[in-house]
Amino acid sequence: MMRLLLLAWSLLPLLWQLRASFLVGDALVGRVTPLSGSPWTLQNYRVVLGGDPSLAQVLVNSTLLGLVTTALTLLLAVPCAYGLHHLRGRLQPLLSAGLLGAALFPTVLFFLSLLQLARWLGLANQLLALSLPYAALSLPLAILLLRAAIADLPPDLEEAARLDGLNAWHRLRWILVPVLAPALASTGLLVFLASWNEYPIALTWLSKSELLTLPAAMGRIASSSVYTIPYGPYAAATVLGSLPLLALVLLFQRPIVSGLTQGAVKG
Amino acid sequence: MSADLLPLLWMAPALLLLALVFLWPWAHYCWLSVHASSLLTGLAPIPNGGANWQRLLQDNRFWQDALQTLRFAGVSVVLELGLGLLMALLLHRPSRAQGLLRALVLIPWALPGTVMALGWRWILNDPAGPLNGLIQALGGNAYPFLSNPSTTWAFTVLADVWKTTPFVGIILLAGLQSIPRDLEEALRLEGAGDWTVLRRLQWPLLAPYVSLALLFRLAQAFGVFDLIQLLTGGGPAGTTESLASYAYLQAMRFLDFGYSATLMLATFLMVLLLSLLWLGGMRWAGARR
Repeated sequence: MMRLLLLAWSLLPLLWQLRASFLVGDALVGRVTPLSGSPWTLQNYRVVLGGDPSLAQVLVNSTLLGLVTTALTLLLAVPCAYGLHHLRGRLQPLLSAGLLGAALFPTVLFFLSLLQLARWLGLANQLLALSLPYAALSLPLAILLLRAAIADLPPDLEEAARLDGLNAWHRLRWILVPVLAPALASTGLLVFLASWNEYPIALTWLSKSELLTLPAAMGRIASSSVYTIPYGPYAAATVLGSLPLLALVLLFQRPIVSGLTQGAVKG
Repeated sequence: MSADLLPLLWMAPALLLLALVFLWPWAHYCWLSVHASSLLTGLAPIPNGGANWQRLLQDNRFWQDALQTLRFAGVSVVLELGLGLLMALLLHRPSRAQGLLRALVLIPWALPGTVMALGWRWILNDPAGPLNGLIQALGGNAYPFLSNPSTTWAFTVLADVWKTTPFVGIILLAGLQSIPRDLEEALRLEGAGDWTVLRRLQWPLLAPYVSLALLFRLAQAFGVFDLIQLLTGGGPAGTTESLASYAYLQAMRFLDFGYSATLMLATFLMVLLLSLLWLGGMRWAGARR
């Protein structure tokens, strides 16, 4: 019973969105509950998919950026976590504490400086350039998660590889990375989610409508007109924007949860 | 090459990017905050001593936003802890569909804040939104959820609690699952009920999880931006504006970069102070136990 209540609390707002996305005009502003009988229509979906920018384009942008960000983050985080694990002396706890502080920090406060940086380096209105700040913002958590995973490995593993004559790069590439695969997967998923959801930097770096990511496109819809807000298309956009994440969470619940909890335990 | 230098070499690329994105902005903000850089100066930075900081101290809107942000963060975090604990206890009970249940509960956390802020804006719409539809169907009057200056902030808290409770819940669940079942069974054999088990066994062992999850949530809630921008735009009458949305407004609408940087530094100092207070409080509570 309590569990049903929990599910209702988590899912009811989404179901309302889902129902609204199939309604237009009068039916929408009438008394709509998720179960009330009104004709279902795909018109809202046609509007958002045919709009400027088309939501399909927006989803492609977000996916592309998410993938590049994830790859870049892991590429930087793996060697860094490896280095941090082998670092001795006072620097190690200092850097770890700094990374933890950075992981906790509300990153929206960086937007003005990052915008300045984008202007200087000519990165504004370049979709994939966003992967640089996104990777940086995800790096602290990614490094801490991967370092915890490396620390959990048996120390003999690397030692045996060393005795076999493998140099550090080969040990990392052929021995550590394969056994770290689960940690890489959960870290990568968290990075992808963070990139998919980021708003303030996308808002300030991108102005061309064909480059917008999902959150930036949502922001544009929200501010498009104060008095007549197109709720039907809104709802359709939220449904389409949620679907990829729903799929990710349902498919990869285990690694996502393990990433989250590792972050809390080991961080 | 010395043994200490090699690990640093491995770390160098990541550390460089981190320095650029996490450290440089503070230097940039410190510099900007002692300059006038706005439309009045043609956006060119001109040193103005402490004028920005003086303005900050006398800026009622800043102090109001600081209190509002603190209220938002404080109330959200307390509710998230309570509901998150309830969620964790429910998910902790053995069940065949545990994995699916956990995934479904996690969904609000995974969705973009912007997407669900728009969702809530529709749900809370006056008078056409579904929640008002429900109220009216039950014979009540439509409630101006998003345009009542004295209560709208509570609905920004509701939207935030809805989205982030799963995060707290999942972390507390991990804490619960790290407690050996024998301990709980031993306590129950002595006749302890749910409440005693929670108070005497689970809650004390959860403390480190609670401490870190809440520190994270507190810092994040203090920087609330996406939700406010899309749900209320800071309104009605500025009663839901947060420090981050005020800083954004100063920079992007009024093009006053010097003052915006000052606001951001002030917010940063508050987050730092809050975190240190939190950590100090936790250490004090830990020492007393």
